[in-house]
Amino acid sequence: MSNTATQKVDLKPRVYRIRIQGHLSHQWKIWFDGVSIVLEDDGNTVLTSETNDQALLYGLLKKVRDLGLPLISVNCVDADHKVKPI
Amino acid sequence: MSTSILTTKIFIPPPGPKAIFRPRLTKQLSDGLHHKLTLISASAGCGKTTLLSEWIVSCHRPVAWLSLDEEHNEPTRFLMYFISSLQAINADVGVGVLNTLQSPQPPSIDSILTMLLNDISTMMKSFVFVLDDYHIIDAKPVDHILNFLIKHLPVHMHLVMATREDPPIPLARLRAKGQLTELRAPDLCFTSSEAAEFLNQVMSLNLSPEDINALEVRTEGWVAGLQLAAISLQGRKDIDSFINDFTGSHRFVLDYLLEEVLHQQSKNVTTFLLRTSILDRFCTSLCEALLSDFVINEQETLTYLESINLFLIPLDDKRQWYRYHHLFADVLRARSKEVLSHQLVELHRRASLWFAENGLSSDAIKHAFAAKDFELAAGLIEGEWPAIHRGFLQSHTFLGWVKSLPDEFIRVRPVLSTGYAWELLNIGELEAAEEKLKDAENWLNKPQKNSNEMVVEDEEEFQSLPATIAIARAYLAQALGNITDTIKHASQALSLLAVSDHISRGPASALLGLAYWSKGELEPAYKYLAEGMASLQKAGNMVFAISGTFGLADIRIMQGRLLEAISLYKETLKRVKDYGEPVLQGTAELYLGLSELYREQDDLSASIQHLEKSEQLGEQAGLPNWPYRFRLGQARLKQTLGEFDRALELLDEAEQFYYRGPLPDLQTVAGLKARLWIRQGNLNKVISWIESENLTLKDRPAVLKEFNQITLVRTYIAQYKAQFKNDQHDHTMQDVQQFIQQLLIAAKEGERAGSLIELFILQALCLQAQDEPSHAIESLQQALMLAEPESYIRIFVDEGSDMFDLLSLAESKGITPIYVRKLLCAFDSDVQENRQTIVSSVANIPNDPLSKRELKVLQLIAQGLSNREIGERLFLALDTIKGHNRRIFSKLQAKNRTEAIARAKSLDIL
Repeated sequence: MSNTATQKVDLKPRVYRIRIQGHLSHQWKIWFDGVSIVLEDDGNTVLTSETNDQALLYGLLKKVRDLGLPLISVNCVDADHKVKPI
Repeated sequence: MSTSILTTKIFIPPPGPKAIFRPRLTKQLSDGLHHKLTLISASAGCGKTTLLSEWIVSCHRPVAWLSLDEEHNEPTRFLMYFISSLQAINADVGVGVLNTLQSPQPPSIDSILTMLLNDISTMMKSFVFVLDDYHIIDAKPVDHILNFLIKHLPVHMHLVMATREDPPIPLARLRAKGQLTELRAPDLCFTSSEAAEFLNQVMSLNLSPEDINALEVRTEGWVAGLQLAAISLQGRKDIDSFINDFTGSHRFVLDYLLEEVLHQQSKNVTTFLLRTSILDRFCTSLCEALLSDFVINEQETLTYLESINLFLIPLDDKRQWYRYHHLFADVLRARSKEVLSHQLVELHRRASLWFAENGLSSDAIKHAFAAKDFELAAGLIEGEWPAIHRGFLQSHTFLGWVKSLPDEFIRVRPVLSTGYAWELLNIGELEAAEEKLKDAENWLNKPQKNSNEMVVEDEEEFQSLPATIAIARAYLAQALGNITDTIKHASQALSLLAVSDHISRGPASALLGLAYWSKGELEPAYKYLAEGMASLQKAGNMVFAISGTFGLADIRIMQGRLLEAISLYKETLKRVKDYGEPVLQGTAELYLGLSELYREQDDLSASIQHLEKSEQLGEQAGLPNWPYRFRLGQARLKQTLGEFDRALELLDEAEQFYYRGPLPDLQTVAGLKARLWIRQGNLNKVISWIESENLTLKDRPAVLKEFNQITLVRTYIAQYKAQFKNDQHDHTMQDVQQFIQQLLIAAKEGERAGSLIELFILQALCLQAQDEPSHAIESLQQALMLAEPESYIRIFVDEGSDMFDLLSLAESKGITPIYVRKLLCAFDSDVQENRQTIVSSVANIPNDPLSKRELKVLQLIAQGLSNREIGERLFLALDTIKGHNRRIFSKLQAKNRTEAIARAKSLDIL
């Protein structure tokens, strides 16, 4: 049934990439608990979180907001690493 | 009343010593005073609060300020603080509202807001209200309050909101109506000239235009960035290399600059900053607690930090409490997590102990959790439980704390377990509550209480635990419908409680009353419920004292004591009126109850009037169950008015609002619908309902099922009337008669005169349908005798034309003549006409024989034809037939058809 199909999709964690302007220092690793922090050459930072928990995702965005970090993009990446802009 | 307001939250932060004057923005703010609302929406560190502080100094209006915090997500806390802020500019505003808010069962938020807005509109002067940090609010109820305020904002109140994200208010509409002034990040960023003025004049840095430009580009005019840059530039010789490094770096501005700033500070100051960053607010003594192992002068350090403009914000006039700028605190905290990792637990523990010692329990609990010191947290939480009853602590805050504790820390504490159980009961988590009660009971039942294992913080609560647990057990049993256990535990609680312990005796007595009610023992039910209400009234809980009236009146109605029920409602209404504003919750129910009683007594205009009054009050002064009960009341009235379809619609609506309350449900929506279907002749629907309810004539009479059982009887009678008589049905009718008899016995035993009247009526109708008029009259007489002193009317009249005939017969026999006449007059005129009753004056009876035509009409009447049918048969107009009837009755000295036929037969005319 369609119901079980949606559940299946939800069970698979999605990969979210949050790109912000500026390089974050390593001290933020503990702050952004469970999130990988990668510095890109162009001066941006990518926070990657693998989760299917929307509340966690919004919490993460709130932390970005609270630091006044300029937000560039939020992407949801499929398991096959195709980038889906949201 | 409550002392739990933190004045630091309503303190208007003064402009810092090194603030830059920004006339282009303060002018916009001042111009915005002509509009309803000013919104300052920009990211962290854009200088929102600073700008407001500066503007307030010169805005020439009184300003109320509220710095929002996590705890303001709770609407009651939000409103308490909101009012306290207002009181800072006018001490008389909202005093009553604040008291109402802290009463045990406050009215709905909307009615409180209406009161508050009324209060505000009495304030003479125009003023400004600032809500700072609205982005912290993440709760629909508080958003609702905000929207309500904006919608109904008094003209002399101007609202300013500062936030990091746009609030959920209709911004587009406000913009379109020109009611909104907005300042956003691009407005707040420093312009080149502002940056120059700030760096060179305010911070005295003497930078070249190129340097200023470089800094401005790198920080994008971000105020916090420029401020940090200025601090780290102070006292530097190598300005050029700093600017080169900074502008050449990709690093996040804040990271880069904070490191620079900290680098320039002494080790003492750095340690101070990192350690105190774990605090939401701090004073010297608290800082000392955190730095007790360190040689540093805390007061001097604070003064120094303020002097170098390092994001230190004073929270009161006396410069006792401070906080860091939120953004700065976040960055410091991230750093301290790394640098101080192993020390953090200890620091939080010290903070917790300091807050506990200074009576600031919420902060103490918060830091105990941060220290992962659950033992400490559990003790603090246990000590806080009684605060719920004093209205100082929200139940859900308490539950949030306890749920964060690992189970083993709760289980060893009987007081905390019991408190947990109580709050779980209140939110309907019965199984979980029972488990916690068992944990507590295990400790009490142990022969030797092992003090090494059991932990008790609150000795006084521990002593009264047996009674507290007994009440909780009684509540649980009542919720589970276990009457015997409710009586057992509630009685036990009452025997354990001191006579003066009103606040605990109240619920125990009330529970006992409800249990007796469910058992059908109405007198003890009434007694204990009334005692419970009296106790709670003594304890100051007016709302319960009112809402209990509904129960008491319902009991009296079951006992057939309508007049007492009416005076109960009237007395309570008087008390409510004496109490004054705000209208207490449960008042809407009082009008509803009276409406129902007036309907029964056929005072329909009073009934409608009271129903309307209940509707007006329902929103603000109704109990949670009001929407359901109100529709039931409406449906009953519509039924009486003969609007059956509308009544059914209302019952459908009622169903959507239903939830199980503490009072027993004597009449269900489905049962009321079934009765309407019977009236409509829709028997198939009734029969399938009966099947679904498993109702049979073999059932034993039961109080809580009585309404449905009587409905079953009604169904059989209706079915019998609708079909041709045959032997098989006569057999069924015998069963029906027997069932009525059993119900009568049960109602007599339970002294439910209300039910007796209805049952005697049905017995009479049943006998009438079976052509046993003399027996029918006997039953009717029983009903009349019980009903007359209480002025019942609709219970007879709603039965329709068959009852009209029976009453006519009773009248001819001279049974309770005045009452019967009154009842007959209450029938609709069409029933009266159909049944040929002429309320004729008895004078002038000519002793004439009947004419030929009159005789023919009388013969057709005797055949049971209606006036219309007789008219059709004789090709005469309806009015002509009525004229004939009048003459027939007059000549035979009969008042109605039944009498006329009887007399004609006795005179051998027929």
